[in-house]
Amino acid sequence: MREALEAKLGPISSAHLLAGGASKEAWAIDLADGTELLVRRASVGVIHRDTLTLEQEFQVLEAALAAGVAAPRPVQYLGDVDGHEAFAMERVHGETIGRRIVRDPPAALPLQLAEQLARIHSIEPLDFLPRGSAIQRFYDELDSVEEPHPAIEYGLAWVRERIAAPDAPTFCHGDFRVGNFAVDADGLVSVLDWEFAHVGDPVGDVAWPIVRAWRFGADERRLGGVGEVEPYLERYNELSGREVTPEELDVWEVFGNVKWAIGCLTQCRRHLNGQDRSVEYAVLGRMAAEMEYELLDLIEHA
Amino acid sequence: MPDRPNASELIEAVFEFLASEVLPTADDQRLRFRTLVAMNALGIARRELESDTVLLDPGQLADLAARIRAGETVELGLLKEHVAAKLRISNPAYLEKYE
Repeated sequence: MREALEAKLGPISSAHLLAGGASKEAWAIDLADGTELLVRRASVGVIHRDTLTLEQEFQVLEAALAAGVAAPRPVQYLGDVDGHEAFAMERVHGETIGRRIVRDPPAALPLQLAEQLARIHSIEPLDFLPRGSAIQRFYDELDSVEEPHPAIEYGLAWVRERIAAPDAPTFCHGDFRVGNFAVDADGLVSVLDWEFAHVGDPVGDVAWPIVRAWRFGADERRLGGVGEVEPYLERYNELSGREVTPEELDVWEVFGNVKWAIGCLTQCRRHLNGQDRSVEYAVLGRMAAEMEYELLDLIEHA
Repeated sequence: MPDRPNASELIEAVFEFLASEVLPTADDQRLRFRTLVAMNALGIARRELESDTVLLDPGQLADLAARIRAGETVELGLLKEHVAAKLRISNPAYLEKYE
């Protein structure tokens, strides 16, 4: 792979595979001239059916940058690199591990997240982005698991009764949460992981970082273990001109738990069906119960 | 009856091997993380082997799922009990968050 990369990027002084990145490989590549790159390369398969190709993800990064979003600067679409599609982008610095971020979160982070999200939702929806009913998509994904999950069914039915089609289809990040942000002592450095970008209801993005799993144990801070929801929501509404209510957020929080429960089950199937054998994927099948309990508890207290 | 060690004891032996010999010598962040995940998986397997309670069988689960899909009302408390039973195997500490 090194030779294939050097043919496109020039001499490389070091290359190593970074931790994380479930469906795509992430390589830290240092060029001989000192440039620090991150190369995203397709590994086997995809998590969800609607995940973007790397070429599309590259275009999404270009659109995000043009909209003034703090996203890694896309450097070069590389096409085929040793049998797998890849692109190079700026390697941003900052902490990305959720557990470490919630230990001592920067005070500025909640409002910065609101500001970034308002900008993200102003990006012009690109033609190739997936769109359509999120609820139907997750029913389909649940069916693909071929295992009965009445708790998830309960959550989907409850959400379906309460969510209307969005007024205006909006560009959504699709995985806007702690763990996908680079953060330093001053706050947000960059919004990462754009592969789930789609056109849909922006409230889904606003509520996604609130889901308990993305608080990384710091449950006393409902917004992703890093802060309070109210100032974040207020700032988002102010900047976006939308009027998202706390009640809407509650419904989408339940939906977020439904989505992540199903995400765990479908990722586990990649292990079970031999597409991508991994102990990490395997245990996700048993982790779905955590989101099932959370969504039932949220509904019970709604 | 199999000879000792039984399945549960074998799982325990592998868990202890990972904890005492692999984890302390693993410098690579990815390997450390995966070792912890593997230990977690063994814990789940062991608790499952040692547990004999099944609240709802697969037929009952499929029936409940189909009824909810069809728009019938089912009791939330029963679902919660069912999921709690799963969590007592997969992650008992998780339930403490709700106490």
